[in-house]
Amino acid sequence: MAQQDEIEIYGNRRVMYAFIALVFFLFFVRLCQLQMIYSKEYGKKSEENSIRTIPKEPIRGTIYDRNGVLVVDNRPAFSVTVMPFEFDKKTVPYLSRLLSLEPDFISDRLKKGESFSRFVPVKIKRDIDFRILSALEENRERLPGVDYLVESKRFYTTNALASHILGYTKEISETQLKALGEEYAPGDVAGSAGLEAEYESSLRGRKGAELSLVNVRGQVIGRFENGKNDVPAIEGNDLILTMDFGLQAFAESLMTSRRGALVAIDPNDGGILAMVSKPDYDLSFFSGVTPPQVWRSLNTDQASPLFNRATLTRYPPGSTFKMVLAIAALETGTITPAWHVTCPGAFRFGNKVFKDTHIHGTVNLVEAIARSCNVYFYQLMLRTGLDPWSHYGEEFGFGRLTGIDTYEENPGLLPTTEYFDKRYGKNGWTRGFLPSLAIGQGEVGVTPLQMACYAAALANRGEYRQPHVARAIIEKSPRTIDTLSFPTRHIAVSSATWDVVREGMRRVVEEGGGTGGAARVPGVQSAGKTGTSQNPHGPDHAWYIGFAPFDHPRIAIAVLVENAGFGGTAAAPLAGLCIERYLYGHLIRPLEPVAPAAPRAKTAAGVQHAENRQ
Amino acid sequence: MTYQDLKERVDYRNALIVLSLLLIGVVSVYSATYDARAAETFHKQLIWIAVGAITLTSIAFVPFRILQLVSLPAYFLSILLLIIVLLLGKTVSGSTSWFNLGVIRLQPSEFTKITTVLALATYLSRSDVSLKKIRNLSVAAGIVLLPFCLIMLQPDFGTAVIYFGMFFPVLFWGGASRFTLVSILAPVATAVAALFGTTPFLISILVFGILLYLTKEDRIVAATVFSLTVMVGISVQFIYERLKVYQQKRIATFLDPNADPLGAGYNILQSKVAIGSGGFFGKGFLKGTQTQLNFIPEQWTDFIFCVPGEEFGFLGSATVLFLFMALLMRGVTLGSTVKNRYGSFVAIGLTSIFATHIFFNIGMSIGLLPVVGVPLPFLSYGGSALLSSMIMVGILMNLYANRKEY
Repeated sequence: MAQQDEIEIYGNRRVMYAFIALVFFLFFVRLCQLQMIYSKEYGKKSEENSIRTIPKEPIRGTIYDRNGVLVVDNRPAFSVTVMPFEFDKKTVPYLSRLLSLEPDFISDRLKKGESFSRFVPVKIKRDIDFRILSALEENRERLPGVDYLVESKRFYTTNALASHILGYTKEISETQLKALGEEYAPGDVAGSAGLEAEYESSLRGRKGAELSLVNVRGQVIGRFENGKNDVPAIEGNDLILTMDFGLQAFAESLMTSRRGALVAIDPNDGGILAMVSKPDYDLSFFSGVTPPQVWRSLNTDQASPLFNRATLTRYPPGSTFKMVLAIAALETGTITPAWHVTCPGAFRFGNKVFKDTHIHGTVNLVEAIARSCNVYFYQLMLRTGLDPWSHYGEEFGFGRLTGIDTYEENPGLLPTTEYFDKRYGKNGWTRGFLPSLAIGQGEVGVTPLQMACYAAALANRGEYRQPHVARAIIEKSPRTIDTLSFPTRHIAVSSATWDVVREGMRRVVEEGGGTGGAARVPGVQSAGKTGTSQNPHGPDHAWYIGFAPFDHPRIAIAVLVENAGFGGTAAAPLAGLCIERYLYGHLIRPLEPVAPAAPRAKTAAGVQHAENRQ
Repeated sequence: MTYQDLKERVDYRNALIVLSLLLIGVVSVYSATYDARAAETFHKQLIWIAVGAITLTSIAFVPFRILQLVSLPAYFLSILLLIIVLLLGKTVSGSTSWFNLGVIRLQPSEFTKITTVLALATYLSRSDVSLKKIRNLSVAAGIVLLPFCLIMLQPDFGTAVIYFGMFFPVLFWGGASRFTLVSILAPVATAVAALFGTTPFLISILVFGILLYLTKEDRIVAATVFSLTVMVGISVQFIYERLKVYQQKRIATFLDPNADPLGAGYNILQSKVAIGSGGFFGKGFLKGTQTQLNFIPEQWTDFIFCVPGEEFGFLGSATVLFLFMALLMRGVTLGSTVKNRYGSFVAIGLTSIFATHIFFNIGMSIGLLPVVGVPLPFLSYGGSALLSSMIMVGILMNLYANRKEY
């Protein structure tokens, strides 16, 4: 230390010590000032402090039918919430008894909520009844941190279920949350089936935000600047449907205790009048919170009630498909309407025998449609060939999505030459496949919705209108009605061909010997076609498609009853009743019991579940 | 190595101080991130502490000569990294200062401050170098100005402040004349004063005018420095206009924290409320409402001091202050007992870095200084900052172990 330069270097250490000491002294003084002298003031400030953004849920849009009847409304529902910060864990057993919830469930929810924020209340039970609400209210003191909040739940005003069309809302999953983006937060609900899902962005509205002053416990003690900076929630838009809920309820009642689907369309605009898929379920199960046992039973039910048979299935269409072949044959000039075949009741092709239901004798095209002669169409198919048949099948919308706005549908299957080539190899298939296709059997699959659209296009002489359920969207402020428009496509078929095919369909219903006499409605000329389709899952499916009135159609319909046997007796009467109910507004004849449903197959639902549910 | 040897060579007290600070830091980060959907932050911090501890130990036991040998290469390497980060780095809140290495992000400026100290110490410890000579002083200033300017380009005002906070004490330690020190301090202090308004600016030039006169330096030289100071003060306004909006806001906020309660001043206000409302005993672990309700955004980084302040009260925050003061005092003591001249400069340089971090961060948290983005060593969340603090402690412990070597 004696060296000159060392002294020079180290000489200043006292200044350093002094400087450090001075700064820390200042800090200590400041801490004393903040934490001892003014700590009360700051404590108070921290209590008052606190501006919190509380999201305000918008009111979900309601739904009206074509006659202005409110069919989906909102009702208040009470949900029990727990704020983890205030909650006393010792009260879990008491709370679980009160709400009849598992104690583990409450603890689990709490833990999840806590990891998000201890000051944000967690919903532990939705939609409690009034009895529980009053019990909670009475025991408030014993249950710190337990509160309830008013939410809205769906309320279905009519006696129609329309479960598959309306759909339901559900608490969004984590994957949905990521996909939907910023508008949503955990615990929000979003449409997850049917119209609720399809029109989610319209029905939902926009969340608002309320800036509230929160005390030291995170409890709201008032509004920030009297709500000057609040963002109000924007109510969701209402929907007006093309459906007639009177007809819907009636159609549902007709289909009760049957499995199958019924779709009625207004051929003038493509609007769905009624769409039934049976078995179905009660949407009010989903309006608040769905008990897990209900979910489980709906999901495991062998009859698949959650499954929309009207849009997701792939049934062979049976004889109802014959008009496609008739039109293809006439349009390609393969035959004239006068071409006839003598039906011996069966048809041999190669070493295979294709059966017919009756011996029809000599029939021309109109008679072959009216009496559903299979032999006629077997021969016609072999003459016409696959390609024209596929072409007109496509024109009528088979093998592709209809574009309906009920969230999910299936394109079905319409085979083409390419399809068979791809599936069986260029030489792997023969003309032996064709006779089956002629009568809507074999590798062809349709949905009842496609069949209703097909009926509507036949009714319209080729105007194929995209089917839809929503007609308009009502915006609240400013109040405007947005009428939705859907595309129409013209199927190029000559007028003469329409006349012949439609005449055949008219005779199905209106003439003696027609297979669809059971669909006749007094005072109205109607046209249709029956179908009875074989399927590997049990007894035949019964089909009927039709439209009425014949000259100026107002309704087109497709009915499918699974495993019910002959279309003329099991499906046609149901269509007739719906037509009657719709055209007259009520039934003009006493309602007689319709032919009993044929014995059901012992196997699971006779539905060919489609692989593609989009 | 016998026990006696180990005791002689390992700075147990320093290790204890750092361990205590790390413990308080872990507890504070845990509390600050408890609710804030940032739980992974806490786990990352634990990993960084482990990485830091290994690094610290390795550096503490590296032969002293190697430290000296790598000083200059390390300096140039880190300057290179700074240039690369400017060209290729990741931009976080307006500043391009990060390397994204996939799993981890590194901030090279955190390490450059250490290498700058090492380089400066290497230069100043040369026997032919004296801070009395203008040429040597200029080289020393150049060593610091190079990284300083690169960091200002990012721009990262907070880290740049650290370089000044380190340079000034080292000059002082190296025996620079009073005139030199005043000449360096004058423009900086006047610039800050000018931000407050015309009156503080006038007072500042008056004070420095007198100080310059008292140094009895050549009149012409003194006058040059004085006029330079005045010019800096005047041009501050001009530069202020050209600062990034968030920087302007931070400065404006410092001048009047109450002016914009939901803007940048919000942080200072909430921070003061958090510390003040902690009282003498604090609100208890995880019970601090300011902390738990997340009133202070990203509290686990620059405003971490509020956590012990609020949840452990005066007892907690005074403990932190005491530990930091002990760390700094011991650093100065080490600087004055190390026999090696290079080691002495390193000790003072690193201690000054710690001091600047601590002074600015705590000063900001308790509302005595403006909001400058400077982390609090050992407490704030942040991998690069934590690792660099651990490296600095490692070097200090190495110096302690070798304090008797020339």
